[in-house]
Amino acid sequence: VMCDQTMCIPGERLCSSEQYQAGRGTYVRHGSVFATLAGRVERRKESGDNLLLIHVQSVHSQQLVPEIGAIVICKITQLSSSYAKCKILSVRGSYLNTSFRGMIRKEDVRSTNRDKVEIYKSFRPGDVVVAKVLSLGDASCYLLSTAENELGVVIALSENGDAMIPLSHDQMQCPKSLIKENRKVARPQSDYLSF
Amino acid sequence: MAKVILGDSEKWFIIHGIQDDLRNDGRSCDDYRHIEVETGVISNTHGSSRLRLGNTEVMVGVKVELGTPDPHSPNDGLIHFHVDCSPNADPSFQGRGGEELSSNISCILTRIFNNKTAIDLSTLGIIPHKQCWVVHVDVLILECGGNLFDAVSVAVKASLHNTGIPNIQVTDGDEGTQEISLPDDPNDVKFINTNNCPLLVTISKAGSRHIVDATADEESCCNASLVVGVTRRGRTMGMRKMGEGSLDPESIPEMIETGKNIGRQLHIALDKLLKVEQGMANDIEKVGYL
Amino acid sequence: MAGMELVSDQGYRIDGRKPSELRRIRCNMGVFTQADGSAYIEQGNTKVLAAIYGPHEASNNMRNRVCLDRGFVNCEFSQATFSSAERKKRSRGDRKGRDISAHIKQTFEAAIRTSLYPRSQIDIYLQVLHSDGSLYCACVNAATLALIDAGIAMKDYVCACSASLTKGSSLIDINHVEELAGCAEFSASILPKLDQIIYSELNGRIHQDELGLLVDAVSTGCRDIFAVIDQFVRSRLAETASYFTHS
Repeated sequence: VMCDQTMCIPGERLCSSEQYQAGRGTYVRHGSVFATLAGRVERRKESGDNLLLIHVQSVHSQQLVPEIGAIVICKITQLSSSYAKCKILSVRGSYLNTSFRGMIRKEDVRSTNRDKVEIYKSFRPGDVVVAKVLSLGDASCYLLSTAENELGVVIALSENGDAMIPLSHDQMQCPKSLIKENRKVARPQSDYLSF
Repeated sequence: MAKVILGDSEKWFIIHGIQDDLRNDGRSCDDYRHIEVETGVISNTHGSSRLRLGNTEVMVGVKVELGTPDPHSPNDGLIHFHVDCSPNADPSFQGRGGEELSSNISCILTRIFNNKTAIDLSTLGIIPHKQCWVVHVDVLILECGGNLFDAVSVAVKASLHNTGIPNIQVTDGDEGTQEISLPDDPNDVKFINTNNCPLLVTISKAGSRHIVDATADEESCCNASLVVGVTRRGRTMGMRKMGEGSLDPESIPEMIETGKNIGRQLHIALDKLLKVEQGMANDIEKVGYL
Repeated sequence: MAGMELVSDQGYRIDGRKPSELRRIRCNMGVFTQADGSAYIEQGNTKVLAAIYGPHEASNNMRNRVCLDRGFVNCEFSQATFSSAERKKRSRGDRKGRDISAHIKQTFEAAIRTSLYPRSQIDIYLQVLHSDGSLYCACVNAATLALIDAGIAMKDYVCACSASLTKGSSLIDINHVEELAGCAEFSASILPKLDQIIYSELNGRIHQDELGLLVDAVSTGCRDIFAVIDQFVRSRLAETASYFTHS
């Protein structure tokens, strides 16, 4: 990362678009890269690209919105036989002030044996789930997916209200009552959960 | 009001802290947060003030105009309170969203000022039955960070103290009519006497103890509170129980006692500040939001 | 007020300014803690607070305005009951308030990179504390600062300025008294660095040939306002950035 101490403000011309590739906080117009945020200009070498990436890091706190492919943390609110609804609480590791509605459809719960998935055996209301944004969905909610080993339930409470311990990819156990419950358990990876 | 949603364990943490007389921000149960008051901030008004208490931000503008007195008290002037919740404080106040809270606050202000001694309304009378001063106290709520009632009442007192009413001349005209003439000099004013002006103190019950000046987080843990109007001499002028919870009858006198003590201290501190500010008059540049 | 001289024989306006002179501008960013972005601006005696909430999921009563491919702007303009010379009965929802809200919404939907915030809502709330003319312009300038504070991506700053025409010469940044004089009033918002006009409005009657004069006066005014705001934002940026490097 090359981080010079230049500051920019919205609308400022940063460079020619032939020199650099426009990253976050910038846009291209008439062959030039312009800033859209007030902040610090950073130039970074992305692997595989021959152009340096230029982006603007805002010094002000920023509200993020979920975007396709982003890792989000959500809390399950409602279940039905074909989907689980949830509230998206954080995007790319940054906490949201207001939650967004999301939905995990039955076919997006796991990558294997998709037709045998049962929502009730995968999630329960109140579970904290790591998921990936699949699409912006319809007007009411984002479509999320947990169809990867790293995605799924990370925090779940048993019926008695104790935090459960994961046993396998589809089971968790209450440490007190020793009752086992079914979940789509995540194998969290540090890249997915960075705080 | 910005809705604060706390988990059970967060609530217990706050309540246990209060039990040990140590609150999240380091205050004890009877401590107030830092208050910032400034008067004379809006030159379009006859009196104005700006107040910041923690994260609560309130602005009050007072405008006086000529009007007709109430037939029941023909010698007195009138005072009206109007509260407006700005959507700047919370998006839910957009449109008519803040009206419930607004009317709640203006009702309680009207109640504690609806008293012969609070403001001597006879000083606002001009010609009995015909003409009097109507004082409009407009409160603007700009940010809600807990303890809104107390903040509003302090700002109201500060702005009333800052309010200059033009010295009017009443002369006898032809055929027994009376004519009034406004002074030419805008500085030819008399100030409203705020010596008996009450302040509101909210005492919130949390667990077995009570606290003053609750923050928004603390308010969400306390489900019953008492709002007391207190004068400078420690007299109570109206009281109201707020919140959906219930109060033990024995705890009420205790809470009122706390309210009176805190109210007296608040009055002393505010009077001192207003006196200093009045003394400095126009020498200081207003800070406002800069 | 008709017949009043807006410019004296010596070439000064009622408040002592020259025809092409702005009133003093003072501003601040981040004045509130709860809003995602906030700002305060003073243009002479016109004082405006702006607060930004969002981008967030569309609130229930705004569901019908959701766009799948971009965000939408929700704006509400309120004027404190004590802000004007005559006490106002209502602070918002009157015709003038709805008018200004609609214009500001239109202005910022053109300036914000809404495609980055699909299906989201961005709230712009404006609260006038003291009104002394050029309300629309002060609101736009305050909202620009608040949007920068909220870190919302914009194509450029938005700067707005008003102008009036008297006896063939233009006056910029007009105050309340000059508004009352009943001359034609022109206000515009520009993107100063891209040199684009994104909003313009004319009240009153002028000769077509004079329009160019007004547009020139307003663009110069906007550029002057931009210079003031730009300087403030840059100094604030440097200040904020120095916290990052030292810690």
